Amino acid sequence: MLAAVRSPCRRAASKAALRTRSFATSVNAAGLRVAAFDNGQPSASVTFLVKAGTRHESKAGVAHFLKNFAFKNTANRSALRIARETELYGGILSSSLGREHLALTAEFLKGDEAYFVDLLSEVVTSTRFSRHEFMESVLPSVQAESSEASHNPVLTALDVAHSLAFRKGLGSSLVASPAGPVITEEDVKAYAHSTFTKSGLSVFGTGIDSATLAKLVEKSLSSLASSGSSASASATKYFGGESRVLLESHGPQTIFIGYGSASAVTPELQVLAAHLTNTPSIKWSEGAVSTFSNMPHGASVQTVLLPYSDATLFGFLIQAPTSETVHQAGKSVVAALKDVSGSFKGDALKRAIAKAKMSSAAALETRQGLLDAISLDSNTTLESAFTGIEKVSAQTAGSAASSLTKSKPVYVAVGDVHSLPHADELGL
Amino acid sequence: MVLLGGPLGISLAPYIVKNPGLHRFIKPWANMFINASGYRKVGLRYDDLISEEREDVQKALSRLPDKESYDRVYRMRRAFQCDTMRRLLPKDQWTKPEEDVRYLTPYIREVEKEDTERAEWDAMDVKAVRKPLTA
Repeated sequence: MLAAVRSPCRRAASKAALRTRSFATSVNAAGLRVAAFDNGQPSASVTFLVKAGTRHESKAGVAHFLKNFAFKNTANRSALRIARETELYGGILSSSLGREHLALTAEFLKGDEAYFVDLLSEVVTSTRFSRHEFMESVLPSVQAESSEASHNPVLTALDVAHSLAFRKGLGSSLVASPAGPVITEEDVKAYAHSTFTKSGLSVFGTGIDSATLAKLVEKSLSSLASSGSSASASATKYFGGESRVLLESHGPQTIFIGYGSASAVTPELQVLAAHLTNTPSIKWSEGAVSTFSNMPHGASVQTVLLPYSDATLFGFLIQAPTSETVHQAGKSVVAALKDVSGSFKGDALKRAIAKAKMSSAAALETRQGLLDAISLDSNTTLESAFTGIEKVSAQTAGSAASSLTKSKPVYVAVGDVHSLPHADELGL
Repeated sequence: MVLLGGPLGISLAPYIVKNPGLHRFIKPWANMFINASGYRKVGLRYDDLISEEREDVQKALSRLPDKESYDRVYRMRRAFQCDTMRRLLPKDQWTKPEEDVRYLTPYIREVEKEDTERAEWDAMDVKAVRKPLTA
């Protein structure tokens, strides 16, 4: 009976897997990578994924400026025209920045793909980067975003954690700092020229036929340079370290405890992340199934597993109203991390494997999840991810955990640094 | 001051320049007018005289490169000083015809174009309706 219920899921999974796999093979004649995923959703979207994230930047902060320069004046369209025409079509334009990629996305009604692919191509090929737009709209928005980010303890903790873990490249901050180097529109233009190339661009569509998308892209992106000067990023190394940031002593106190590695994410880590979690599967049932013992009331522990193309950062974001609670929660997390092989057997292992499978399957259901999978550039299908996760045993997971914890940890304390614990006080 | 024809006022210059005969005929009169108006004798440029009490010109001024902007302020202060002293500058400091460039006009034109475009979009008439979806 169970098998009968399962079989349709398996079929759907293999279908999704097939489509995800088509990404890797569909490099077309013009040297552009195009992938499309259509499961009959009512609206469509196209994302231009450019290798222009912060790890590739030549000057700290320039990628953030480039993100905010999206959809400004181009050779043929003014920023106003882009906005008004998009409104007429009922579309939504957005740009988002990651450590590896800059994503320019258009969401629209089916049937309007020709307009939006043309628009995104124009943004990539012929944005003017004029000085007055830089001063009047890009700079103020960058300043607003970076001041917002600098007051957010979670973003600050993760940013500092990345810089401790990877230093250069992946360690670059996601937002431009007001204390950073002076950036002009010329810098942004030069960065765009070196990164907006055929070799650095992948096009991803949802709700659109792959052949249609490929044809449209080929037509409108033929003028794009095939490869830039600084397309290659240096290989990532893991370092680790401790840092403390004084920020809003009266707000929530935050610490980040983590470990990184200079290799892509493994199924063992996925299972570990699913095991070492304080988030209950059913709301308000905290403590029913938790790996962490003596977790104080009021502390929130968020397990963070950030996969990159050549590195992984795995850790815990611990937040609580007071430093004492954070201290206790941190101790409990460190204890659980050291005792993984002890707690990780029998039902706990089964539970973690099921959770890891569910989260990797559910990720492929959203556009963002599909985009993340594609941006990692991996050829793994859901099927192979499942077999990888199912192969994880208590032993392999335990050895993965011990090899991870053997390296130097990343520890970041954000908030009232006078009372927040130091790494050695938590037993790290 | 409200000017007809946008921030730069009405100008026949484009039509005159297009016609070489007319241009040759008008040019000496234009030079006489410039000489009589005397702004070059206090070191100003023609674009320093454009009425700046308008939003579009203010925006154009804000877009001037820093150097141009400082030089403009310097020229104006020098001209005010000349006016207060009831004196002209020494002849070697007069603005030479080749220095009298329209450094502000391109910026004003750009702002004007943006304003016109915005007005057009605000009063647009959508005619092209998407074709009905087939199949």
